[in-house]
Amino acid sequence: MDYIPATENDKKEMLMQIGATSINDLMADLKPQISEDLAFTDPMSELELASHMKKLSQKNKILKYFIGAGAYNHYVPSAIYHLLMRGEFLTGYTPYQAEMNQGTLQAIYEFQSFICLLTGMDVANASLYDGSSALAEAVLMSASYNGRNGIFVNDGLNPQYEQVLKTYCEGADLKIVDEIDEKTACVVVQNPDFYGNLENFQYLSDRAHQFGALFVTCVVEPTSLAIVEPPGNYGADIVVGEGQSFGIPINFGGPYLGFLAVKAPLLKKIPGRVCGMTTDLHGKKGFVLTLQAREQHIRRERATSNITTNVELMAIASTIYLALMGRDGLKNVAKHCYSRAHLLQENLASTGFKPLNSKPFYNEFIMKAPLKSYEKILSKLLKKGIVGGLNLGNDNILICCTEMNTFEDIALYISIIKGTLNLK
Amino acid sequence: MKLIFEYEENISGHVPRIQKINTDKKDKDRDKNNENREFLADLPSDLARKELPLPNVGEVDVVRHYTNMSRMNFGIDLGFYPLGSCTMKYNPKINEDMARLEGFSQLHPLSHESCIQGSLQLMWELEQDFNKITGMDAFSLQPAAGAQGELLGVMIAKAYYKQKHEKRTKVLIPDSAHGTNPATAAMCKLETVTVPSDSRGNMDICKFRELLGQDVALVMLTNPNTLGLFEENILEISDLAHSNGTLMYCDGANMNALLGITRPGDQGFDLIHLNLHKTFSTPHGGGGPGAGAVGVKSFLVDYLPLPRVVKTMKRFVLEYSRRKSVGMLKYCYGNFGMLVRAYSYLRSWGSELRRVSEHATLNANYLLCLLRNDFELPFDRRCAHEFVLSSKNLGQKSALNIAKRLMDYGFHPPTIYFPLIVPEALMIEPTETESKETLDEFAAALKAIANEIKTDPDMVKGAPYTRPVGRLDEVRAARKPNLRWRWLSIANKTNEDSENIKNSGGTTSL
Amino acid sequence: MPEAKLKFTKEHEWISITNEGLAVIGITDFAQEQLGDIVSIELPKSGGRFKQMQAMAIIDSVKASSDIYCPLSGEVVQINEELYEHPELINQSPYELGWIIKLKPSNSEEIEGLMTVEKYNEFIGETEKGK
Repeated sequence: MDYIPATENDKKEMLMQIGATSINDLMADLKPQISEDLAFTDPMSELELASHMKKLSQKNKILKYFIGAGAYNHYVPSAIYHLLMRGEFLTGYTPYQAEMNQGTLQAIYEFQSFICLLTGMDVANASLYDGSSALAEAVLMSASYNGRNGIFVNDGLNPQYEQVLKTYCEGADLKIVDEIDEKTACVVVQNPDFYGNLENFQYLSDRAHQFGALFVTCVVEPTSLAIVEPPGNYGADIVVGEGQSFGIPINFGGPYLGFLAVKAPLLKKIPGRVCGMTTDLHGKKGFVLTLQAREQHIRRERATSNITTNVELMAIASTIYLALMGRDGLKNVAKHCYSRAHLLQENLASTGFKPLNSKPFYNEFIMKAPLKSYEKILSKLLKKGIVGGLNLGNDNILICCTEMNTFEDIALYISIIKGTLNLK
Repeated sequence: MKLIFEYEENISGHVPRIQKINTDKKDKDRDKNNENREFLADLPSDLARKELPLPNVGEVDVVRHYTNMSRMNFGIDLGFYPLGSCTMKYNPKINEDMARLEGFSQLHPLSHESCIQGSLQLMWELEQDFNKITGMDAFSLQPAAGAQGELLGVMIAKAYYKQKHEKRTKVLIPDSAHGTNPATAAMCKLETVTVPSDSRGNMDICKFRELLGQDVALVMLTNPNTLGLFEENILEISDLAHSNGTLMYCDGANMNALLGITRPGDQGFDLIHLNLHKTFSTPHGGGGPGAGAVGVKSFLVDYLPLPRVVKTMKRFVLEYSRRKSVGMLKYCYGNFGMLVRAYSYLRSWGSELRRVSEHATLNANYLLCLLRNDFELPFDRRCAHEFVLSSKNLGQKSALNIAKRLMDYGFHPPTIYFPLIVPEALMIEPTETESKETLDEFAAALKAIANEIKTDPDMVKGAPYTRPVGRLDEVRAARKPNLRWRWLSIANKTNEDSENIKNSGGTTSL
Repeated sequence: MPEAKLKFTKEHEWISITNEGLAVIGITDFAQEQLGDIVSIELPKSGGRFKQMQAMAIIDSVKASSDIYCPLSGEVVQINEELYEHPELINQSPYELGWIIKLKPSNSEEIEGLMTVEKYNEFIGETEKGK
């Protein structure tokens, strides 16, 4: 496929105007030049490419997912894709030239608003890469805010998120600590946590504040916010999370959507882009990227973060999702997730699985399979096209349900368990 | 345009008309297993949300709202987008369809290894492609953007020196460097030292030599640099750095000039990041998502993030065992959806990839030659794929006014006021996907505006006139931040009481 | 003009000494014009100690961010909190309402090394020519 419109004639004319004999003449500065070809295959036409990619994609197997652990299989309404594919949304750049991209800017403003309304916080940014790096940015921001370097992480943080946090902390000379004290920059919790547990963390935010530390909540499954008390109501200073559940396909892990929201006093410290409403010279309402002096292209080495490109299109996808679903639609999704998870857990318990959640849970839960049966169970499920959960070792499994898990699938799951364990 | 919060209340189509949870069983089987039980009633009251303050908007209104909003935007699909350093080339539509193939988009990342062989193969092959293009030995596809790639690069350098028990705390960057370079160094608690440019637009090699002490961990260079000029002394710079035990990092944002022509690995770079949303055609989406692959020479492979995709005799596996790895930068493997697009782009071009850089360079030099007499040229050399002019000759703030006035001519403005070392800078990158006609029209528009500045300067200062809004008050936006919608009466946003939401109204504020 | 009794630094700060020996510090008219419309300021804490020419505050305009350097060694005794709500005071009245901090100098010799208004005007004249 060739996307170069210049004809041979154009090429000749342009070279003549430049006063060069050939294109190679223009590239004389470039050294050292490669002498041989890049050893790529022949160019592919669209037809050939489509066939090649289809075959490659079919080497993957799409199954029925009873697994979450950071990526949630929710229904994505059709309208989202159609709107995102509009060239005006898809092919534009970051709206630094605000008058050229009021559409994207208004979408960002609406996104920021939705995140604040959902989390109970005062102000949100235009998005960060994903939930895990958003958490890392929140931690860096806390350390920069109060000049401390201790990071307290409550139990139950997604292990991959913990890995990412450790990586960022190592780079920034911050330490993950066991105690909350005057050296603690922030206290981090995930809610619902990695095992699905829900908790009202007022007691922990109080304790953090007692020592002058910031309280950071990470929401990895934000559909929970439709029915669960938001972190802004139990003392969170910073809320971060993963917006993939809002209208973004699981995409083998990315691109996803990190969000970050804070209480008003922290506004000047937030990383990333922020969109604000203003007026033009005729008094007409409009939007611009604002408070840019915080960002890397102005603050340079004094910026809170180096983030430039974020995930605008994913933020727009989520905004459209939340607009389409609305209050009632989102609550409906949450109700389905909650009910199906609890139904499955109840049924699994009746087959001999041991429930391990010590607290109420949302749509993920952890169970212990009957002694040494788990490998066999998982493989049987796999053969029937079901991913039964995340194997945590020791016969422990992390299981997730969303509105996409039908009652037929749940019944099939149970019947396979019963068959494997030789139960009636 | 009103905000989505200001619409008439309407139940969304995603709430079932009949409020039954179980809709997929026949009557006689219904509720055999208590499926319709109200599980939610068990949620303790200190956990249950009291009110959900979101609007309900009907689908027709939502679709019209966002469609009309999009029509206020400008994209590559609408016209010329000559932003220097951004490589706004055409985003092939076929790549969107490939990324959407069910086998790629519906795949859970934590599936069993036997179920993800197609994706692992794609990632492995893409890594080999990038090695060939850049002359590096291994790539990580995990970073979500160029800046995250830079972060990874600096983390690797830091870990490398820690292993060697060498205390190096400085990073050298040219004064033309992009702001992410020093910001990244600061995120890793390293000090940035700036090296001035010489009269030919290269990093000044004498000053570089002076500043290259035993405490310098890394040299971060963009090549071609942000002036659109190839660093003429690059081989000498690399030699000096390596003799000093210092690593060379390439900010690969300008890779569009070099594909198939020269390789950063041969220029002496030890690390590089690529911007897939620049050189490799993945769409910018109004500000992301991007992807920032990081390549290294073999002595640094063990520091790359986990997991690595490894090819064994029979299949592809995810390897988690390298102990020197710096860790993970984000959940799972990277922005896989963008990797699919970049992979498709490279397969489309295949062995002809070089033509991309050839034509990017041709277009840039042609446009430069059309404009060089109307503006000031800070460095008189052949440019690579982009060039920088100064409109200083047209007065203070002329670059800003030219940018705003270009909108009325149907073009997106170029990058302005960057790099910082050129006053009234206009950084222009046409890319290879533009026709000669477009370049001629753009040059004509710039010449016309230069003339307008002389004959009717106030008119130009008041531009743009043809966009949905006029010039926006950025000072007001920063002094009095108004960053979100707020309902006036939060009490009305209960889950049951939907009629009163619109009546409560709302306001925009911090 | 108010500037006649002031001293200046190469980083465009002005200093005025009160009868009680406190140094009132701000940025010059030239500086505020260069920065453009100021949108926010980060001030040091009262009681903070600084060495001469150590960075002590950050001023943000729409498109730029600038360090403000403490022109004398000493202890900050008062900061102009009005500037949080009204940063534009620095643009409108850089020598009066736009004062930034009041400092108790610890080294009385340092003030001799600073520029007079004539020298400062010469300095910015040369800076402009060099552009």
